[in-house]
Amino acid sequence: MGEYSLLIILFAPFFGAIALMFVPRQEAILVRMTAAISAGISLLASFYIFLAYDTTKGGFQFVQRYVWSEELGIAFYLGVDGIGGPLVFASAILLFAGIFVSWHIKDRTKEFYMFLLILAAATIGVFMSLDLFFLYFFYEMSVLPMYLLLGVWGSHTKGYLSMTDPEERKLRDSIGFIFNFGSNSKEYAAMKLTLFLSAGAVVALMGILLIYHLSGLHTFDIVVLREQAHFSDNVATLIWFLIFFGFASIAPIWPLHSWSPVGHAAAPAATSMLHAGVLMKLGHFSIIRVAFEILPDSTREWMWVAAVLCIFSIIYGGLVSYFAKDTKYVIGYSSSSHMGYIFLGMAALSYISLSGAVIYMFAHALATSMLFAMAGWVYDQTHSRDIPSLGGLVEKMPFIAGAFIVGCMASIGMPGTINFIAEIMIIVGSWDKYPFQVVVAVLGIVLTLAYMFKMMRGLFYGKLDPEHAHATDARHWVDRMPLLLLIVCSITLGIFPGHFYEVVRSTVEPMIDRINHVTPLITQNTQGLLP
Amino acid sequence: MTFQLALSAADLLLLLPEIFLTLWLCLILSLDFSLKRMTHQQLAYLSIAGLAVTGLILLGFDQAGTTGALFKNMFVLDRMAIFFKLMIVGATTLVLFMSIDYVQDFRFFRGEYYVMVVMSALGMMFMASSNDLLSVFVTLEFSTFGFYVLVAYLRDDQRSSEAGLKFFILGVFAAGLLAYGISLVYGETGTLIFSEMTGTSGSYGLAIGYILIFAALGFKIGAVPFHAWIPDTYQGAPTPVTAFLSIAPKAAALAILIRMFYVSLASFKPMWVLLFVVASIFSMTYGNIVAIAQKNIKRLLAYSGIAQIGNIMIGLAAGTKQGSDAIMFFLLTYLFANLGAFAVIIAVSRVLKSDEIEDYNGLNRRSPFLAAAMLLFLLSLAGVPPLAGFIGKIYLFIAAMKEELYTLLIVGLINIVISMYYYLIVVKKMYINEPTDSSPIPASMPIKVAVYVGIAGTVLLGVYPGPFIDWAVSATLMFSNIAGPTAAASLLPGG
Repeated sequence: MGEYSLLIILFAPFFGAIALMFVPRQEAILVRMTAAISAGISLLASFYIFLAYDTTKGGFQFVQRYVWSEELGIAFYLGVDGIGGPLVFASAILLFAGIFVSWHIKDRTKEFYMFLLILAAATIGVFMSLDLFFLYFFYEMSVLPMYLLLGVWGSHTKGYLSMTDPEERKLRDSIGFIFNFGSNSKEYAAMKLTLFLSAGAVVALMGILLIYHLSGLHTFDIVVLREQAHFSDNVATLIWFLIFFGFASIAPIWPLHSWSPVGHAAAPAATSMLHAGVLMKLGHFSIIRVAFEILPDSTREWMWVAAVLCIFSIIYGGLVSYFAKDTKYVIGYSSSSHMGYIFLGMAALSYISLSGAVIYMFAHALATSMLFAMAGWVYDQTHSRDIPSLGGLVEKMPFIAGAFIVGCMASIGMPGTINFIAEIMIIVGSWDKYPFQVVVAVLGIVLTLAYMFKMMRGLFYGKLDPEHAHATDARHWVDRMPLLLLIVCSITLGIFPGHFYEVVRSTVEPMIDRINHVTPLITQNTQGLLP
Repeated sequence: MTFQLALSAADLLLLLPEIFLTLWLCLILSLDFSLKRMTHQQLAYLSIAGLAVTGLILLGFDQAGTTGALFKNMFVLDRMAIFFKLMIVGATTLVLFMSIDYVQDFRFFRGEYYVMVVMSALGMMFMASSNDLLSVFVTLEFSTFGFYVLVAYLRDDQRSSEAGLKFFILGVFAAGLLAYGISLVYGETGTLIFSEMTGTSGSYGLAIGYILIFAALGFKIGAVPFHAWIPDTYQGAPTPVTAFLSIAPKAAALAILIRMFYVSLASFKPMWVLLFVVASIFSMTYGNIVAIAQKNIKRLLAYSGIAQIGNIMIGLAAGTKQGSDAIMFFLLTYLFANLGAFAVIIAVSRVLKSDEIEDYNGLNRRSPFLAAAMLLFLLSLAGVPPLAGFIGKIYLFIAAMKEELYTLLIVGLINIVISMYYYLIVVKKMYINEPTDSSPIPASMPIKVAVYVGIAGTVLLGVYPGPFIDWAVSATLMFSNIAGPTAAASLLPGG
């Protein structure tokens, strides 16, 4: 059963979605239970692969390979390494939590869960694909459900500009402002997100097709390509840029980020959780999987681009978060900002920093999704996301307020949460190569502290608006369980990071060796890398 | 030249599907006239049964590996012809299923409708087999003849009459071009059979002749700049006819294009590659950009069809065996998605009496089934995994990539994003907007059959395309030694 776990993780949500088609839509409980059970199966299996990953062996494990089309050189090839494994686990946690967070959705529940399951399954598919074709297949597949999830079950953003532009300060979303034709609707946000990500995907697809053809191998198999693909310098650089910017648009790196906060703000809570938690990591992950594995020389040569752009991401996202007045904007931009840390960790190309980046992806997924879940709860109770008009909610919802504090602490990187370990590793690992960026990153942490506290105070302390007197706490286990699950995961791994660290190390170490060695790559430490 | 018509029984066997369908056609026609008690539904199911038998015969040929040529190579039955014929028979069957409801609303000529549809299908089956310029001309006109009638079938409807007239005038004009082109080519080469033209040297007459033939076939498939008739005809024609028009003649004309360019013009490949690259770029870009502005769903699909033909011509531009395989696979995916989409349109317009995109507001609330089906079909047309259209597009792109047609690829990829926009607009209306009237929209049994077949094809070809790709690959084995781009020969003298 062990070797089929990846298939179980991937197909449980898909079959859940198919099963939902046959569940009558009046049976709301049955619909929810079907979704929850399929996500639960996925979660258990992904927990198993996370634990059972053999850290002494490293490389791709739990490999499954089925020839899909001989003619085109495509195989349905699954496997996880120390980077994909934890991210699969994170996706499964968020899906499971997300299903419970959206337990109270009344409108077209069945369709909502179907699209949510497809979205999560597609992201999981990216994290375990060892075939470029299927990586793209699942990547593109994860974009489309977002359109409907945002468009149908999302909410409008009131006064986009007024929220980021208090007191006539000209602080506006640079690219977003250009593309924002004065619309704050969820339809606009959904369309912008979909087109932006599809455009990015298409750029990456060009890169993938170039790899396919110019390597002369006419295969999409990543394991074969990383061993045998060689490109001339110019071609490799071109492909590297296509891959990097194609996938970085979902990550999202500044200046390609503008779809993301708008999308976060419009999305329903569970979608925001998956979106910020794992969908954005598809970008980093795909860059690592494609650019780092197949084009190690170009990565070494050009990864400084990410180090430059991440400065803007960190500072800019942090500043906008500080001034934004919409809870989801604050969290959305903070995610944008925190993605900069991951890019910094990746750019430094040291073994500690890259491990830190991978752990940060996981940590950020947990922390941000907690915050989004609670922002969603507050919105459901008060129908407001406007921080100045809220306040004093701690009396009404002590549990949510307490959990919110934990979420903020995790987001800031308090010791005890897994975020702390990740941040320290990124900062320490990048210091040698990019001291300036490290200073920026530390400033970014201070900024995070500032806006998180500001938001927390604005929401939960101060005077309670009588209009919100009817707001209630999360009392039922259904509402508390997802938050507790996320908190427990974050803190447990923060205190006992040993296994997690070993899992990541087993993959990152040979990868960094390979990138940093100028000598022929084929002889380098490949024993452990092949399945 | 004496023409001996010596046909053995074995030769006649090659014509069995066509002969059977012709006899069946006569049977339906005489039943329609003689048995007044026969309802048009019974005639429809009788036609479907005939097509099903034809399809089974073709499948039998495919399994048995029956191939051959008749009438001095004018008619060939190879596996590619069988592939296209099966596609045409399949499309016609689906169209008949969609028509049953629609024909109910006709006040007269109900039975003849089915006869006309099957007759066009018969013409197109001959097209898929034609291997010589003369048979191209005859079969093309034979199949178009049925369409001239079908497009103008709603004779009290002004739009339908207008559509019929436009289609007729432009169609006849295209036929003239075709005849002129054929005469020029015959004058230069002295032969009409594709496979005998391979060794000819280039000349202006030949070049002009082939461009004229390309224009006539471009009219059939609706490639820019020969697309002008498409939007009005699609909008005005009865919707099942539009559905039929959107796939079957295109498939048949593509079979001819592939044969003609791959066989008779193989040595001039660099020249026609350029022709297809340009036509493809313009078709994709024009179709997709103009589609954004459409308010009528049939017009939207008309322009999207122009764009899809642009995609298909990527395969012709590649000019390799893989290119033609990709075209055939893409046509299969297009068949299911496009016919499915038209089936949904018929179901919706029967209730709403309108084809405006506005009227699709809140379709998800009024009929979750139809909305979900339409969602799948549109996303397949847009090329979203895991649906068939995605695999089709990737296949075409891979074929183009192997020929290093970078400009074409970049334009094609950009067009994916553009097309996503207008397909999503329809999705938005169906799912996000609220309906003005929330009464449910029922779908009748025959329509449901067409929709289910469309869904099954769209999903199956998307997640498990292997056998279908292999089928396409094995159907075009005769192109495996087609000249590469290095075999440069100029179609023009001294060029």
